[in-house]
Amino acid sequence: MAEGSVIGAGTVVSGHVRGQGSLEISGRVEGDVSVTGNVVIGSAGRVRGNISGAELRVSGQVQGDLRGTVAVLLEAGARVAGDISAPRVGIAPGALARGHVQTDGEPAPAAARISPAAARPAAPPARPAAPAPAKLEPRPAPAPVKVEAKAPPVPAKFEAKGPLPPPPKLAPPKPELRKPEPPRVAPAPSQAEFTPVRPLKPEPRRPPPPVVPVLSKGTKAKKKKTQE
Amino acid sequence: MAGTVIGEGLTIEGDISGDEEIVIHGNLRGRLTTTDAVTVGGTAVVGADITGASLSVAGQVTGDVTASERVDIQAGGKLVGDIKAARFTIADGASFKGNVDMEV
Repeated sequence: MAEGSVIGAGTVVSGHVRGQGSLEISGRVEGDVSVTGNVVIGSAGRVRGNISGAELRVSGQVQGDLRGTVAVLLEAGARVAGDISAPRVGIAPGALARGHVQTDGEPAPAAARISPAAARPAAPPARPAAPAPAKLEPRPAPAPVKVEAKAPPVPAKFEAKGPLPPPPKLAPPKPELRKPEPPRVAPAPSQAEFTPVRPLKPEPRRPPPPVVPVLSKGTKAKKKKTQE
Repeated sequence: MAGTVIGEGLTIEGDISGDEEIVIHGNLRGRLTTTDAVTVGGTAVVGADITGASLSVAGQVTGDVTASERVDIQAGGKLVGDIKAARFTIADGASFKGNVDMEV
């Protein structure tokens, strides 16, 4: 007789619970729970440990992974911190879940129930396989898009600012300022000459040098500001 | 209904503590502490020290028992361990091995 087991509200179990039959937890369990039947965790039930069973119906608190060979159902008021995996997963409004949730496998009818141990090893490999590629693909894509979008506007702004303001008011001061520039610009080419030493290691940094003249325009802007 | 029921086929390895009645039809290895009655069914196999208000044994128990009220070993029941209780009965057909302290 696979009589149902009950852990009452006033009972605390510190250790592993496993076996056949269904289990209702209204008290506290500090340890893993593994049964072949259904598991019901009442609203007052608290479990700290992994739970596996056929159908898990949670209304209480669980700190651990939930694995159901048939289903995992979180009722309103349930609080789960851990991974959830089952062919059918239900999270009702009012239930809190934090962790990885996966609906995997088929509702393995008889085989999974008879030998839950056999069903477990088959399922876990599915977790890392499915989610991993999904996460990796979207991440690299957005990165280059941002870089391209940012790069072009920068030179456009420098070019636009440079020519427009200088002609009217700042025309005379330019020559005076250009004299001091050479010493400042000089270091730039010197860097370019010396740069070979640096670029040898990081070649991808070479493209920036052509931008240097653009930056020099920016330096002009700074000088203008100082003049103003 | 009893507060806590360990059904047949269920195994608990660890401690059970509480303040309500506990009925065991399955297996328990560890320790059992409650302030209420403890019933060990005919199919139960318990390897644990038991502390409770009363204890009724119809299955197998190995461990020391401390009961604030009474301990009863039913016919067919088997208990190996020391018993400390104010009242203690052994039914005809029960087996028992251990010391008894009835707090005389």
